[in-house]
Amino acid sequence: MALRTRARSARLLVVVLVSVSLAVITIDYREGDRGPLAVVGDAALTIISPLQEAVSKVTHPVGNFFSTLVHLPAIRREDELLKDRIAELEQQAGTTAAELDRLHQLEELLGLQQSLGGDVRTIAADVIANGVSNFEWTIEIGEGSGAGIVVDDPVIAPAGLVGHVVRVTLNSAIVRLIVDPDSSVAGRLESSRTTGLVSGEGAQDMRMGLVETTTEVQAGEQVFTAGYKIPDFAESLYPPNVLIGVVSRVVQDSTALEKFVTVRPAVDFSSLDTVLVVLPSEGG
Amino acid sequence: MRRALSLTVVIVTALLLQTTVFADVKLLGVRPELMYLVTIVFAMLEGPSSGAVAGFAGGMAQDFLLDAPKGITALTLTLVGYAVGSLRQYIVSPSPLLPTFLVGGGTFVGVLFNRFVAFLLGQEATSVLYVFKAAALSALYNAILTPLLHPVLRRVAESSRSRRVIRW
Repeated sequence: MALRTRARSARLLVVVLVSVSLAVITIDYREGDRGPLAVVGDAALTIISPLQEAVSKVTHPVGNFFSTLVHLPAIRREDELLKDRIAELEQQAGTTAAELDRLHQLEELLGLQQSLGGDVRTIAADVIANGVSNFEWTIEIGEGSGAGIVVDDPVIAPAGLVGHVVRVTLNSAIVRLIVDPDSSVAGRLESSRTTGLVSGEGAQDMRMGLVETTTEVQAGEQVFTAGYKIPDFAESLYPPNVLIGVVSRVVQDSTALEKFVTVRPAVDFSSLDTVLVVLPSEGG
Repeated sequence: MRRALSLTVVIVTALLLQTTVFADVKLLGVRPELMYLVTIVFAMLEGPSSGAVAGFAGGMAQDFLLDAPKGITALTLTLVGYAVGSLRQYIVSPSPLLPTFLVGGGTFVGVLFNRFVAFLLGQEATSVLYVFKAAALSALYNAILTPLLHPVLRRVAESSRSRRVIRW
């Protein structure tokens, strides 16, 4: 008898909790980014981001250690080899001292900032955490509205475009990566100067849409931000001529209305340590 | 009171690990779903009511860090916690691998349900193939982590359990 009562009260509890969940889903869905729930979410983020930063600092080396264990040694070795090779080619001069790494990163960011032009204000920020889900491609950075960052600010790295800011708290911000399925960037092909819309595909290479079938596209061709607005599709948040990635695959299909082009991002998002946030210009 | 406190500590710890350590330590590019693991283990140890509460609290906490419509994870995990807690009462297997299988299976079904609801709410989806791959791999990852984390969570659950009278 008591058992049955308990089962009934458990069922009642579940009905209540499910109803609350559904109510929250509905409210949040209707209110969007400005509702009371978004405010609560930002508050939660403000509280947890210093913790994340601290944990990240401590566990980053530990994480690397465990990932060595998790990965098959052979893959790891090959990975290291390739990474070393890339680093070697990138640096060209050949200095690999660890103390120079940070300096090197900041120099690159400085060079990047200067390449954007003198009137653009930027701020460097450390990556403190990654998104919580396997289905959202975001990172969290350790600077927020306190440093002048607002929603929609573009974020770049020395290697290329990273994404844009979607949420800001006082001391942290969430950046949606360009590989997130919700992200679209106006891109321009290097040789043909044709523009298209580069959309994230998550773990796969990005897809460049709206490219006419007559356009000549080669695999290996670089794609840069176009930096203007495609009506009704996406207003470009990003400064022009930032490297997005490299064309990885072109599928010829004479019956299709547009060319099927995939783009591999220039930035390795798994090893991102420092990024540069482009702040809005002072005039507005 | 003590239970609420230990549940909060477990949830915050899981969130921190999920966003920091396990962002680096991936299994074929996929992270575990620690909140699913916590919910399922609590449900197994404490029954359907506690499972549902743990799932709801953990899901809400995770939702407020996500950009998706908030509440989807809470809905998923409430149901997962209740389902696993109820199911557990009918399983008499003494196998020490039982938690591992329940966590793996529960995570797989839970993640698929979660993505289905998100899809209904108009979230941009990646390919169906990726959803299945991510669900399967995070379930596998969770199953692998279970033998490590199960004893810890059982300790927490037992130490915070109020000495209640069991009325049969």
